[in-house]
Formats: sequence, structure tokens, C-alpha cells
Amino acid sequence: MKYFAGLDIGSTAIKVALVDEEGKIVGVHVSSSGSLFHKNAREALHTLLAQQGVAKDDVRYLIATGYGRKLFKEADDSISEITANAIGAHETGKAFGGVRTIINIGGQDSKAIQIDDTGNVSNFAMNDKCAAGTGRFLDVAARNLDIDLEELGDYHFNGKGAPLTINSTCTVFAESEIIGLLANGHGKEEIIAGIHYSIAKRTVRLAKRVGIEDRVYFDGGPALNKGLVAAIQDELGRELVVPEYPQTTTAFGAAILARNEFFAETS
Amino acid sequence: MNSPNTKTAIPYNRSRQAREAETMLDHITDDFDDNPAAMDYFYDLFRRAYCQGESLEREGVRVGTTCIHAPEELIYAMGATPVRLCNGSYHYDQIGADFMPAKSCSLVKATLGMLSSENVIPKVGKLDLIVNPTTCDQKKKASAMMVGMGHKVYNLELPPAKESEQARLYWQRSVREFVQQLRQITGKKLTRKNLMAAMARTSRAQAAFRTLHNFRRKAPSLVLGKDVFLVTNAYFFDDIERWTEAVEKLNAELAQRDQDGFCAAQKKAPRILFTGSPPIFPNLKLPLLIEESGGVVVADETCSANRMLYDMTAVDEWLVNDMVDSLANKYLKPCTCPIFTNSDDRLRRLVELAKSFAVDGVVYQAFSGCQVYEMEQKSVAETLNKAGIAMLYIETDYSPDDMGQLTTRIEAFLESLKTRKRNRT
Repeated sequence: MKYFAGLDIGSTAIKVALVDEEGKIVGVHVSSSGSLFHKNAREALHTLLAQQGVAKDDVRYLIATGYGRKLFKEADDSISEITANAIGAHETGKAFGGVRTIINIGGQDSKAIQIDDTGNVSNFAMNDKCAAGTGRFLDVAARNLDIDLEELGDYHFNGKGAPLTINSTCTVFAESEIIGLLANGHGKEEIIAGIHYSIAKRTVRLAKRVGIEDRVYFDGGPALNKGLVAAIQDELGRELVVPEYPQTTTAFGAAILARNEFFAETS
Repeated sequence: MNSPNTKTAIPYNRSRQAREAETMLDHITDDFDDNPAAMDYFYDLFRRAYCQGESLEREGVRVGTTCIHAPEELIYAMGATPVRLCNGSYHYDQIGADFMPAKSCSLVKATLGMLSSENVIPKVGKLDLIVNPTTCDQKKKASAMMVGMGHKVYNLELPPAKESEQARLYWQRSVREFVQQLRQITGKKLTRKNLMAAMARTSRAQAAFRTLHNFRRKAPSLVLGKDVFLVTNAYFFDDIERWTEAVEKLNAELAQRDQDGFCAAQKKAPRILFTGSPPIFPNLKLPLLIEESGGVVVADETCSANRMLYDMTAVDEWLVNDMVDSLANKYLKPCTCPIFTNSDDRLRRLVELAKSFAVDGVVYQAFSGCQVYEMEQKSVAETLNKAGIAMLYIETDYSPDDMGQLTTRIEAFLESLKTRKRNRT
């Protein structure tokens, strides 16, 4: 049996996806990036292979993507996460009737990608160099509010009052704004909802820059946060397609590409 | 004992700006195989001027210019040496931040930073005059700051539009005034003879550039864009005759490469047209990123390269005053600077370049705070898209901290261009 792997070395997490000869997903794995990108990436791959009982030699082609893609020299090839994301979303989106716009929020950037009906990137936009409106922002906020990242979604829906407004676009300034709101006696719930709407606003502006076409797919770690999903849907005025494993869409795209490249090279 | 006059002498080549320049040159030379042998002249020139701080030679009075609108034929004609002061150093950009609001153009800040420093790099020596054409707001306001630093500045008044008859007349008068100013500084008179001689010098340089420019039409490419940007950038400060000879040598080598069927880039490397804010050494980060990611810059529409050298002077007037007027027209009419009210010419030029150089995509750089380029990107993107040409818009500055993000964006853009091409065939 031949397998193909996609390895997405992101700023916060390393995602691995394994597909079979048909391009069907076999397994995925997510672990933290830490500071030793290369070592952790190798371990993540080994863990997934062990879990699935796949021998290393059966992985015939591996494509690396994400910020650390150049560091992983064992890969057969590397590709930018935008192209990999597009391929992964196009493939996953088929089950939902096809998607044309992708919103991705990662650890340190956010992207909006427009794809054509074959999954090719036709336009994309990325946030500028600061971490505003990215996963890192949620991380910092959760830490300030002394709650777990996973709890953010629940807090979002339990607020009594209207979501507060977080104006600062900079992660560092927003941090002091949050502390100020807490000092004024505002509830965590309203603050969290406010943070979600602030990220949603920025993200939707980005998506509008590339042009929104039906359907809109949302992926990346923050897509696990139901509160954020709701906020983006509100700002966008339409429903989002959120896959079951939003973190691994890009790794899956790289795996699909690895499979296609393998057959293109061997045929 | 330390006397109060002892200065801590740091060798120039260990200074921040020298190391910045050195890093960039190392990338330009070492990251690529098969650099043309004739490029060694330029690599060496930049190493001497930027990394070792060697003083530049000059003839007569030194006239600094802050823009391509300052007619250099007039400066040469009166026995003076022009030097373009637009600076690309991040080091000077940070120093220049003291003079301008935080969100202003890196180029203007770096130029001010350089002019405010004791050791101006490249070492142009004492500037007898700085000609500052009144183009964008930031350059206009930079003028008073340069005066404040003790420089003698002449504001060459440029009209905000170029189509109308009144704009043409206004500009002609400005250029005539400029001749008077030069006469005061140099003590020389502009004559038909010295102007003809000056035009012959610049025309030869421009002809050499045009040959180089035309070699870039070839597919697969004979030369990389990072080298061509270095060549045109050297024109800012190098001796014009020596520069021309070096370019002619490069052209001869490219002709040989063409005969030998040599490729400087892969056959399928996406061909890029570069436009927007000008890449100026050592800030060649964007063109370099494009070529390190597997693309090749085959043409440009920027004021540090093509826009500066493409349009040649051919004046056949009999009287020196008429010659000055037609020279003025040459500096106004074909110029595609975004500061003009109407940018139809620029749009036409971009589409024409994209088509004639078989370009796959356009990369549009705008320095954060350079309003005219930022504002124009939308209409340029629309025009290009209508013509079936993809464009990537990148807002950046001189700081290296967005390299990771830029690499991702550029690679994704190049990948999408490749897929596009594959689907088309």
C-alpha cells in the first residue's frame, strides 16, 4: 500500500495528514510547534505513522508546507500554505457542494483565498505583519482572562449584555484594553464576545478584499472556536462551512498534492 | 588618559549600514549560480561604495537630485556631476524617522536619514546643491528639513498634471529657472555645444540600458532582475562613462549567452513585471524574494530603473533655449509617475510591458505611507485583470521583519501563476 503525507509546520502547531492512493484521508495528527520545528515535525510524523500502523517507507511522497516548510529537508517538495490550503479546502468542500472562498486564521496570520472551480487560487490577501486578529490574539486574551482557550466559545454565548467593543487592532494594545475593561467591572463573557467580533470584523474586511463567492469555508485552529464562528457569520451575513478538522485542511491539501505529484512523476 | 577629543573609532565596514549592504550583496551574489561575469564590476562598485565607504569621484560642482524629474543633461552640460540621493537603507530609514511622521515613506525617511548623517553613504562628498522636484507631499516637505540640516536646496516646481498646455508651459518655465540656478552655482553658461555634448553622454548610457532592457524579452531569461536593478541603481552615483562601458560589456556577454542558448532561470519560471515603489539598494528584498522563490523579474516600471532610463532625448532644435524647452517636455510628457492627476499613461505602459515581455504576473510594491502608489493599486489591478494579467499587491517598507510573510505570499502567487499557465495550455 502506498501512502502520501502532507506536513504543515505552522507557527503554533504542526499538522500532519496521511492519504492513501485514492486520496482518501487515512489519519491526521496535531501537535505543538514549540521552538524546535524540525525535531517536533519529525516526531509528529512518526507519531501519526505509528498510530496508523504505516511503515515509513510506505510513505512515497511528502510535501511540506507552512512557515517551517524549508526547514524540513526530508520532504520531497515544499509548497506555500496558500496553495495547499486551497487544494485541501477544495477537496473537503466537495462534500458541502463546493467552496469558492476560504477564510483561514492561523497562529500568526489570517488569510482570505478565492479559488476557481478547479481549486486553483485566483486571488488572495493576507493580514499585514502584526498578529492582530490571529490565533495569537485569542491566546493572549484567554491568558488575560485566566481561562482556557477551549472555553472561549462557551463564554461567547453566555453573556448577559451586548458584546463589548475592542477597538485596538494591535495585540499588545488590545491586551491593555482588556485589562481596562476588567478593571471597570465588565464580565468576561461580554469581553470575549467583543474580542470575537473584533477579529471577525478584521477577517471579513480581508475576505471582502479578495471578493466573497459562495460558499465560504473557514479553517485553521481558531475555527474550533464556536463563538468566533458565530461572530464571523454575523459579520459576513452568511453561513460558513466549517470542516470537522479545521486545523488539518492545509496538511490534507499538501498530502493530496503529494499523491498527485507522485503519480505525475511515475506515470 | 583619554583626552576629551578622542572619538571611539569604529571601522566603517563594521557599521550597521555597511553590514546591511554586505548582507544584501552576499545574497545577490552567493544565492545564485552563474551570475554574469560582467556583473562583477557592479558587485565590486557597491562593495566599495557601500561596504567599505570609499569616496566617490566627481568633476566640478556636485548636484544631488531627489527624483528623476531633475534634468541631468543640464547638470552635466554645466560641468557639474549629478548624484541621485534616493536611499534604500533601513539603517538610514530608522534615523530618518526622527524627521517624518511614523507612517511615512521609507524612501523619503532614508534619504533624510542619510543627509542628516555625518558620513553620507555612498560618500558623495559635499553637496553644492540639492535639486528637489516638487512631486509628492512628502518630498515637498522634506525640502525644508534638508535646509534645516544645512543643505542648499532648490525646489524644482513640477505641475500636478501633465496633459494640459498650462502644465507644459509651467514646467518649461521651471526648467528655465533651474538653468539660471545652475548658472549661479557653477558660474558657467549653458550653450548649444555643451548641452549637445551632455545629451550625447546620457543618450549613450540610455542606449546601453535599452539594449539590456530588450535582452530581457528573451525566454528563457538571459539575466535576472536582481542584477538589472543593481545596474540601474549604480547609475545613481557611478561615473556615467564608466557605467555605460560596464553595461555595454554586460550586453555583449548577454548576446553571447543568447547565442549559446544559456538560461539564467528555468524555462517555466513565472515571468514577473515589477512596478510601484522603487527598489533601491540595499532594499532589493522584494525582487530578490521573487527570484529566490523561482520567479524571474523580466521587466519593471519603476523610477529606479526603467522609468529613469527608458525615454531617450533626441532634441534637434537649433537654439539653446528651444533645446531646453524640448528637454523639459521629455521630462514631463512620457513620465509615468503616480503623482500626476491622471495615470492613464502608466496603465497603458504597464499593459504594454506585460504583453511585450510575455509576462505571467505583475508584482506591485507600495512602501507603507507612499500614498500615491497605495491609492493607485486598485485601478492598476483592475486594468491588469481586465487584460488577463494577475497582480500581487504588496505593502511593505525597508524593515526585514516581514520576510517570512512575504515569502509565503510570493510563493503562493508564483504557484498560482504556474497553475494558470498549465491550465491554459
